[in-house]
Amino acid sequence: MVKAKQKPLEEIFALIRGYKEKRRPRDVLQVLTVGCGGCTSVCMAGGQREVLVLNEELTELARREKVPLQLSCVTVERQCNAQFLEDITDLVQNADCILSGACGAGTQNLGDRYPTKPVFPALDTMFIGVDVDVGLYEERCRTCKRCVLGLTGGICPLSRCSKGVLNGPCGGTRSDGECELGGGLRCAWNAIYERLLAQGRVDDMMEIQPPKEWLERGQGVLVQRGFEERYDPRYDKDSA
Amino acid sequence: MEAGQKGLGKGRMNGSTKDAITAHRISRVLTRNREMIQLSLQACMHCALCAESCFKFQSSGGDPGYTPSYKAINSIGKIYRKKGRLSEAEYREINELVWDRCVLCMRCYCPVGVSIPSLIACARSVCREKGVFRTYDGERNA
Repeated sequence: MVKAKQKPLEEIFALIRGYKEKRRPRDVLQVLTVGCGGCTSVCMAGGQREVLVLNEELTELARREKVPLQLSCVTVERQCNAQFLEDITDLVQNADCILSGACGAGTQNLGDRYPTKPVFPALDTMFIGVDVDVGLYEERCRTCKRCVLGLTGGICPLSRCSKGVLNGPCGGTRSDGECELGGGLRCAWNAIYERLLAQGRVDDMMEIQPPKEWLERGQGVLVQRGFEERYDPRYDKDSA
Repeated sequence: MEAGQKGLGKGRMNGSTKDAITAHRISRVLTRNREMIQLSLQACMHCALCAESCFKFQSSGGDPGYTPSYKAINSIGKIYRKKGRLSEAEYREINELVWDRCVLCMRCYCPVGVSIPSLIACARSVCREKGVFRTYDGERNA
């Protein structure tokens, strides 16, 4: 799932304050904080409980700074799905701006659905990762669009190697299997080797991978297999 | 959905005021979705064809309690009939239905066109207003 963390409170407050001072200097600014019941709820960054606490903290900060804000909040099931945004139309209409507790995708979706309302992010989207423990998450995928896990024993060298070396190791592997950068970080390529060795297929990692085509990273669009006729030849989201 | 709770100074409200505001908010959610709920509940023929498209139903070994229509009728259906005036225990049961038994993957298929995800999402909204929602740190919600 997508993992995110809340921006520093001061940064969020500065975004709202900046907007108020420039655009609504004489009004009590109505801010609607929109939580997300999806990934950011799971990683405890932007779910219902988190946005309630955030609003409480922002209210207190605004009171101290003597910035007249009126904060309210609502949580939708998933901000990355427009269907779930319909339910908050009346609340959005009554707000001057929106503070989103979703990932970058959800925040943009909110902005696309309500283009006349300024949308500010309350979170920094970090990565696609796994839940190691409650409140502890690790990156596992960098969405490179050409997965090599089949040849690397199910361990991603891009997201788990400090240098993101695609054809490794780099030579900085310590004898105990740690990365030369230290900090208890395991060398991804050492882990790949050990796993492939255990599976009897070390030769898989000898296959040279061509460089990733990062330059082509425009806006990603995925048309799932079986849906080509519906969306091809030219995907147009306005007609979808 | 939970709206505006902090803006009203939750900590300074007495119990009855808070209950009244919660009831008002639940009523607002139900009013906003009344047509959709009524039409959907009337249209559902209890054919259970939606069950086949639910992976939770499939992975439960065919437990009828995982049928999408069952989940919708026993969550938002119950809430709507009782105008949101359910006991805490009933809300906890609904919480289990709409969060534990449904991931809102939106894959459920209804031959007469009932949007089951919309019904489940509406039930979740009411639960959120009630302060009954899924948490991910092992703690019980409010």
